[in-house]
Amino acid sequence: MAKNMSPGLFIQLIVNALTIGSIYILMVLGLDIILRGTKILNFAHGQLYALGAYIMFLFFQTLKLDFTLSLILSGVALALVGALSYLGVFAILNRRFTVSSTFSYRLLLSAMASVGLMMILQQGTLLCFGTQELGILSPFPQILEVGDTRISLSRLVIIFLSVAICIILYLMMYRTSFGKLLRAVSYDPEAVTLQGVNTFWIFVACFALGSGLAGLAGGIIAPLFSITPSMGQNIIFITFLVLLVGGIGSYRGTIAGGLLIGLLLSFGFQFLGSAAELIVFMLVIVILIFRPGGLLGEAAE
Amino acid sequence: MKLPNSLKTDRVTRYKWIAIIIVLIALIVLPLCIESNYIKHLLIMACIGAILGMTFSLLFSSGLITLGAAAFYAVGAYSSTVLVMNAGLSFWAALPLTLVFTAILALGFGAVFVRNAGVAFVIITLIFAQVVVLAAAQADFLGGWGGIMGIPRPNPVGTVNFAAKTDYYYLILAMLLLVVLIYNALYSSRIGRAWRAIKLSPKLAGTLGINEYRYRLLAFVIGSTTAALAGCFYAHYSQNITPGAFGGWLSIYVQLYAVLGGLEFYILGPAIGAVVMTFVPEYLRIVKEWEPIITGVILLVVILFFPGGILGTLKNPPALSLNKFHSLYNRLVTGKKRDSNS
Repeated sequence: MAKNMSPGLFIQLIVNALTIGSIYILMVLGLDIILRGTKILNFAHGQLYALGAYIMFLFFQTLKLDFTLSLILSGVALALVGALSYLGVFAILNRRFTVSSTFSYRLLLSAMASVGLMMILQQGTLLCFGTQELGILSPFPQILEVGDTRISLSRLVIIFLSVAICIILYLMMYRTSFGKLLRAVSYDPEAVTLQGVNTFWIFVACFALGSGLAGLAGGIIAPLFSITPSMGQNIIFITFLVLLVGGIGSYRGTIAGGLLIGLLLSFGFQFLGSAAELIVFMLVIVILIFRPGGLLGEAAE
Repeated sequence: MKLPNSLKTDRVTRYKWIAIIIVLIALIVLPLCIESNYIKHLLIMACIGAILGMTFSLLFSSGLITLGAAAFYAVGAYSSTVLVMNAGLSFWAALPLTLVFTAILALGFGAVFVRNAGVAFVIITLIFAQVVVLAAAQADFLGGWGGIMGIPRPNPVGTVNFAAKTDYYYLILAMLLLVVLIYNALYSSRIGRAWRAIKLSPKLAGTLGINEYRYRLLAFVIGSTTAALAGCFYAHYSQNITPGAFGGWLSIYVQLYAVLGGLEFYILGPAIGAVVMTFVPEYLRIVKEWEPIITGVILLVVILFFPGGILGTLKNPPALSLNKFHSLYNRLVTGKKRDSNS
């Protein structure tokens, strides 16, 4: 492993950073939509990501479907899983809360419910698919060579797909009335109820949308990394980290945070080895000393 | 005037005293009736878990949800180990030094963390727990991922040398009782009332002249120092520590103790929850790979249908009737609001 920086290596590291960064961004966007829409800190989010990768494996590798089709299917399947888990768990939990329930009580109980969900999902995935690592043969095995730079096409496809999903999400959130409803609910659900909208199904939609994004992230990354039942636990810490750095409730912050953490981890692993993660985590704490609400977030509630 | 439950301080009535004495005698006699070393091991781990759960409840009583209990638990375990093994101090000298060290550390980090309330605080403490694990794994003098082996048991006091599990059980039980006494005194003092006021409404507490930041920071420091105490006793009990043992998910189990036992009960709740969560998964090992699923389902059932936890449900037993299920069905499916009679 070359320790000195050649231009080829530099470009390769940038591409790696963009790849993992775009996956983090998709994950955090999903987590953020759930957090702000339904006020649930979803610990099961990483497990939904792992499940997305497994469903991608099922459709693409086992059933030999088209790549784009199986990606869309894994997103839809996870949105369904998310909607069902909202209806089965969080909808009942919400009815338990009364006016006098404090904010911290609601937050704790919904987070703990998502931990229960995470345990069930994780072990369920493990029982269904086994403990062995699975891999998907990348549909884009070509490697682009420009000078001494070698970039695998599948990484570029991942970046392209993530950008496309982000743009679609942006258009949905800011150009359609449905997106307006979602944003309104995350701002003030009671005001939305007063306008005569049944917020219950909007909450379901929020959770389904967030879960679907996690599923898409898992499906997109599946051809690049091996699929293991523990992949969800590994990514959830970094997802929380990006959420914190970017600031809760800021899309621009999320994108900036995802790219920043992607760059730091990509370059860190190359030059610092296994200490990279520790240094990045410490850096986040330093950022929080100076900007408690995150890079671009509003001050925390 | 009737105060809301969360503002009432628990008055220890005469019957409660009798109950407390019976429980104490039971706890003291218990290890003498048990032959199995395995059960004694679980009892010791349950006591350590109970102390950790109480630190969570302490912070929760001021409205903070911490996932960082494991972080200071690890700090306590590692610093006591280093003081005993590298600096050659006796356990009883290392213990207060560890507590002071952790308190200073908690004050420094807490000053940054406590500024963020709500969701951000949850995530920061979770990440901090992960940072501590990664840092311990990177430091060579702490043994890296392999950890430290051969930590001695606490130095003998008189003729008791703490080598037997029964002796260690009594030691940890004494520590648990000490923590219970201190916490009980805190909860019934002005400080405890200030914490509960902040939890109920930070803004209202502020208008009453309670400095939210300072009181929360105080809760953070006390909670973290207690977690370090538990860590100390864990390290010298298990005699080897690895960074993996303090991973971020440990904190989530600590939360579980408090939720399962009952969030309204700051002392008894985590204690009962820790005992249940230590013993139940061990016996569920029979069903092997289904164990996490069953634990998850139990957790969900408790949260969804008995949100008061074990103690809360015992205190206010739910009136189960067909009518209630019918109205639940109505509420969920037709989206109708709560009936006026429920």
